[in-house]
Amino acid sequence: MTTVDHKRIAILYGVTAFIFLLIGGLEAGVIRMQLASADNDLIGAGRFNEMFTMHATTMVFMVIMPLGVSFFNFVIPLAIGARDVAFPRLNALSFWIFLFGAVLMHMSFVVNQVPDAGWFSYANLTEKPFSPNRGLDFWSISLLVMGVASVAGALNFIVTIINMRAPGMTFMRMPVFVWMTLITSILLVLAFPVITVGLIELTLDRNFGTHFFIPAEGGDPILWQHLFWIFGHPEVYILILPPMGIVSEILPTFSRKPLFGYPFVVFSGIVIGIMGWAVWSHHMFTVGLGPVANSVFTITTMLIAVPTGVKIFNWIGTLWKGAIEFTTPMLFALGFVALFIIGGLSGVSHAVSPSDFQQQDTYYIVAHIHYVLFGGSMFGIFAGAYYWFPKITGRMMDETIGKINFWLIFIGMNLTFFPMHFLGLNGMPRRIYTYSAELGWENLNRIASFGYIVLFVGILVFIYNILKARNSRRVSHDPWDAPGLEWSIASPPPAYNFAEIPQIQGRDHYWIVKEKAEAAGTPITEPEALVDPSSIHMPSPSYWPIFTAVGVTLIGGGLLSHYALSFVGGVIAMMGVIGWSNEPAAAPSDHH
Amino acid sequence: MAHAVEQEYTTTGLNHRKLLMWVFLGSDCLFFASLIATYMVYRGQSLVGPYPNDIIDVPVTTISTFVLLMSSFAMVQALAATNADNRKATINWLLATALLGSIFIGFQIVEFNTFKNEGLTLGGNLFGASFFTLTGFHGAHVTLGIIWLLALAILGMKGRINSKTALDVELCGLYWHFVDIVWIVIFTLLYLIAGFDVGPVAIPGG
Amino acid sequence: MGLSPFRRAGSLSKPAASNSSEPTGRSSSLKNRSVIFGLLAALFLFAIGCTKDGMSTWDAYGPVAQKQLDLFNVLLWVMVAVFFLVEGALLYAIIRYRKRPGQPKPPQIHGNTTLEVTLTIIPTILVLGLGIWSVFTLFDLQDPDPDGPTPLHVNVTAHQWWFEFEYPDAGNGKKIITANELRIPVDRPITLQLESDDVIHSFWVPKLAGKLDMVPTRKNNMWFQADSDKIDDELPVTLYGQCAELCGIAHALMRFRVTVMEQAGFDSWAAAYGPPPTNSAKAKAGQQLFAANCTLCHTIDGPDDPALSASRLTGFLTGGDITPVPAPNLTDLRTRSTLAAGIIDLSETSLRDWLRNPEDIKAGNYMSERAVLYQNGAASLTDEEIDALIGYLLDLP
Ligand code: HEA
Ligand code: HEA
Ligand code: HEC
Ligand code: CUA
Ligand SMILES: [Cu+2]
Repeated sequence: MTTVDHKRIAILYGVTAFIFLLIGGLEAGVIRMQLASADNDLIGAGRFNEMFTMHATTMVFMVIMPLGVSFFNFVIPLAIGARDVAFPRLNALSFWIFLFGAVLMHMSFVVNQVPDAGWFSYANLTEKPFSPNRGLDFWSISLLVMGVASVAGALNFIVTIINMRAPGMTFMRMPVFVWMTLITSILLVLAFPVITVGLIELTLDRNFGTHFFIPAEGGDPILWQHLFWIFGHPEVYILILPPMGIVSEILPTFSRKPLFGYPFVVFSGIVIGIMGWAVWSHHMFTVGLGPVANSVFTITTMLIAVPTGVKIFNWIGTLWKGAIEFTTPMLFALGFVALFIIGGLSGVSHAVSPSDFQQQDTYYIVAHIHYVLFGGSMFGIFAGAYYWFPKITGRMMDETIGKINFWLIFIGMNLTFFPMHFLGLNGMPRRIYTYSAELGWENLNRIASFGYIVLFVGILVFIYNILKARNSRRVSHDPWDAPGLEWSIASPPPAYNFAEIPQIQGRDHYWIVKEKAEAAGTPITEPEALVDPSSIHMPSPSYWPIFTAVGVTLIGGGLLSHYALSFVGGVIAMMGVIGWSNEPAAAPSDHH
Repeated sequence: MAHAVEQEYTTTGLNHRKLLMWVFLGSDCLFFASLIATYMVYRGQSLVGPYPNDIIDVPVTTISTFVLLMSSFAMVQALAATNADNRKATINWLLATALLGSIFIGFQIVEFNTFKNEGLTLGGNLFGASFFTLTGFHGAHVTLGIIWLLALAILGMKGRINSKTALDVELCGLYWHFVDIVWIVIFTLLYLIAGFDVGPVAIPGG
Repeated sequence: MGLSPFRRAGSLSKPAASNSSEPTGRSSSLKNRSVIFGLLAALFLFAIGCTKDGMSTWDAYGPVAQKQLDLFNVLLWVMVAVFFLVEGALLYAIIRYRKRPGQPKPPQIHGNTTLEVTLTIIPTILVLGLGIWSVFTLFDLQDPDPDGPTPLHVNVTAHQWWFEFEYPDAGNGKKIITANELRIPVDRPITLQLESDDVIHSFWVPKLAGKLDMVPTRKNNMWFQADSDKIDDELPVTLYGQCAELCGIAHALMRFRVTVMEQAGFDSWAAAYGPPPTNSAKAKAGQQLFAANCTLCHTIDGPDDPALSASRLTGFLTGGDITPVPAPNLTDLRTRSTLAAGIIDLSETSLRDWLRNPEDIKAGNYMSERAVLYQNGAASLTDEEIDALIGYLLDLP
């Protein structure tokens, strides 16, 4: 509870987010069951709306983002040769605020006032007259709370990456994953304030009598759409860039070749990050912004395919002439590339606004989302989980089960989401809880729902594999013969990470080190030796982060129940900050 | 935050906390930009009064703007005094900054009150909503800054502020100047440019 | 489910068919076989995947949908080509460069700038080409041909959860207002002005045109046309439409129909537009019941009185039990084919079910929510009263 060690915080993030994956996945299951047959009446329309709203909100904000953060936390300090992140206590604060915010959001189920306006909750459906219960207050306030966590976390990683690289690790020697983390964090820091303002305005509208999005009083519901998507589109790159980074680590490792075109991969990431700000209205082609605006956003959106394509080509270039080993992480990484191409190409076909008029708000979009988010982000995350698992735990997940796991998820994913392309083009709108049989959508929906079962089994296999690994054999510190710095130390890494901060020799540092050692006739078989931990100055545990997080969450919770509670929360948060700043960051040590 | 950690090795030579503050201010920029954008989108869109021209008192706010500007000057002096290890001057300048900030907030409270009495409320029209949200969040930033300044002053009295810990003051200064600059933008847009709008204006295409 | 080949999207199947019959298949290499297998599989999937049922976007009935589909078809082929090229390269690399036992360390290639630049420029050109084409289509579709037939204008207003159609100038000076069923003459452009009274909805008839949102505060304009030479069936033909933006609990049940008819048929429908006659005693009783119970929200004798509409809207927005709300104009209900925003076919039985308890048919609808009759669930009308109402509304003997 008081830990500030980045590795433990990573595990906390990972486990929490995985639990939310199961929750979001079960919600998806309810959706798929409801849609499995025409004119089905399993759950009512109201419940259905709650399901897809919470499904998407959970998956985006409580699964993919924190899983990304989990990897940042575990890998970044190790990959840049640091002992921890720049602000360990701030890091802990981020986690606790995130957790409490997510729990607050799910309290809506407890009081049965669940958000139900979709994950982008378009105004003015979200206004009191149309959504009278507290569901949307839960939604907006919890997102505000979680936003604090995300921004705090991202600030931390920006500083860590810019400032805590080991000597010799220049920017152009940083692993691609570190690069993508940096870009993602910058996007986060800039994108979240925008949605924050939108959410504040929504909260004010619903609780304090303003009319930001109420047409009858001159408000413009379209303003919400702009605010949401100016945030929302960078957000989807926040969801995909970290997995792209992960894949850029894994492909070279198992092709035994350095990443092809490193500078191009890095710069395309930067370009995506910048261009991502200029395309938001492609979500609003059908709003009626006029042909000029639609033209502009058509072109800018289509151009984003270019830097993304550059990445794909370089990944293929990495495989080219390599010696590819099909380990489980590699399978997931290859699956990522294969599936992301499909998702990206359907994305480009949305970008063409005249044909998007037919596609928008249909299952064709749902297919796109899941190819990029599940085929992309989730596959990248699975790949990363299998890849770093031995580093995190010192044990290996079973490779055979891992491959079964991969194939189940790969097949299940395509069975579930590929038919949705056709469903959409055959005219099935999204967010409908029922459809009539005469429209001919039933068979494809059945396939999709069947695919879900395969996915479900696939995820169970993953859980089984993790549980089983508890008593599997211990592995060496470098089971994959990997290039990254993190593989040079023991598994699991000691609290202080590096006994001595390494001197970085090149892009694939550890490969270089190993090669030199081999050439010198002394191949490396052992991790860096352990030292007495008390000789290294580490940040001490602190309960102020969790204390402050309780305060911050209460401020939000109070808005949902009694304003007095918000006040109490404010006081607690204040006390937390004071206690925090009076506490030395690290235990006083002798040699200072 | 008021505690100086020992100087660590950093890759760029920039201090961690300073970098953090800069990036945070970048983030805050977007926050205010979005609020200001809301205000400008709703400029002239209110269906009922009061409208800016009925309410906004440019001369009075010019005074409070001037006061806030002066506080930035005091902040600069405070930092200089810290670096010079002049404890007394440090405390005085910090308190002066806080005081000037408080005067600004005082003006704002009076202004809000007058506006309320003249019928401008959060829920009354769009002008009220976007005006109070924007200036209110700015005021909250100033208030936080004042608390921070006072905390520094107290630390100063305890003798914990000196040239070695000048960073503590510098960070607060960065924040303070930022909030100040944001006000300049708000003042220009809300008071000098949009302050004389007399009612709904037709927005092309709207 | 239609296994039909692409009728008008013929361009789709032809090139593909000739592709796969090329003799490349004789090569026995794994790569070629898998490519061909992939192609065939894709074609098979297409054949079973794409239908032309009710709402399919594969079957354009007019110029707007047709141009959108044409663009999509080109796009689709470009995407399919890119897909096979890139996935093919990926697959090739995976198969060709898998690790073999005892293989030495592969060459450590770091990159190739010429290749990178080429692979940046090719997609850029491709994408810009498609982008420019889209821009032309976009402007091209903006307005109907000014030299063509005079358009028919319709104002469409969305309500939670039904559509209102107003023809300001179809009925010889008489304004026509109806609901959930749009009748349009064939071969004539229809210009529509879209509005919403409450939240955002979206107007979509896939076979005629892509969707356009209906936003409160905005008046959006679109047009489409149904071409007789694109419609194989005998007129009148009924097409499906649906609200495509989440608009609350009954969003899925917010549908409508578009009936394409000959101009003559349309004209006679417009001329006959009016309240149901009261030929029988039963109908007369129904008329009285209607006046007593239903006119708070519904109008049945022609267009609504604007003041009445306004008061209903206020009633709706301010809420409260038993308040007036905007409701479908029932003047021409007897000529319609569906009920409750296109979700069930209109018949004596279905109308009876609806009047007994609308909630059973459309959960959350504002008729059962707000009408005094339904405050305790089912209607407080007797069966005879309901019969009388049906007799009146449907002009039954
Ligand atoms: C991980 C998340 C992610 C990613 C990476 C993307 C990537 C892209 N997205 Fe997607 N998108 C979403 C998540 C994502 N999207 C979500 C969640 C929504 C729905 C929101 C909602 O409504 O709920 C959405 C919706 C969405 C829309 C709105 C559709 C609508 O509602 O009408 C559009 C429209 O332009 C779009 C376009 C694109 C494009 C052009 C890309 C590009 O970045 C893709 C680029 C990649 C490639 C093109 C493939 C590889 C490239 C090559 C092999 C090179 C050669 C290619 C060519 C020459 C074309 N997306
Ligand atoms: C961010 C990532 C993400 C992920 C990973 C997923 C994953 C899945 N999604 Fe989701 N989805 C979205 C993001 C995501 N989705 C978004 C943004 C929307 C738009 C929402 C909107 O319109 O507002 C959407 C909408 C959406 C819809 C459309 C709803 C509609 O428009 O009406 C559907 C329909 O099938 C769907 C299905 C699925 C399925 C089957 C999965 C599967 O991949 C899920 C796989 C997971 C499992 C199979 C879990 C297994 C669980 C267990 C094994 C539990 C075991 C239990 C214990 C141990 C206790 N999703
Ligand atoms: C409180 C308002 C209200 C009252 C009173 C009311 N209705 Fe309705 N009615 C509605 C609304 C709203 C709808 C649209 C429901 C929907 O589709 O979401 C509707 C729909 C209908 C429809 C289907 C119309 C269509 O276009 O498909 C019929 C028929 C109908 N009502 C008949 C009646 C009759 C007969 C009565 C009196 C016995 C009545 N209504 C009383 C509000 C009302
Ligand atoms: Cu109206 Cu959905
Ligand atoms: Cu987007």
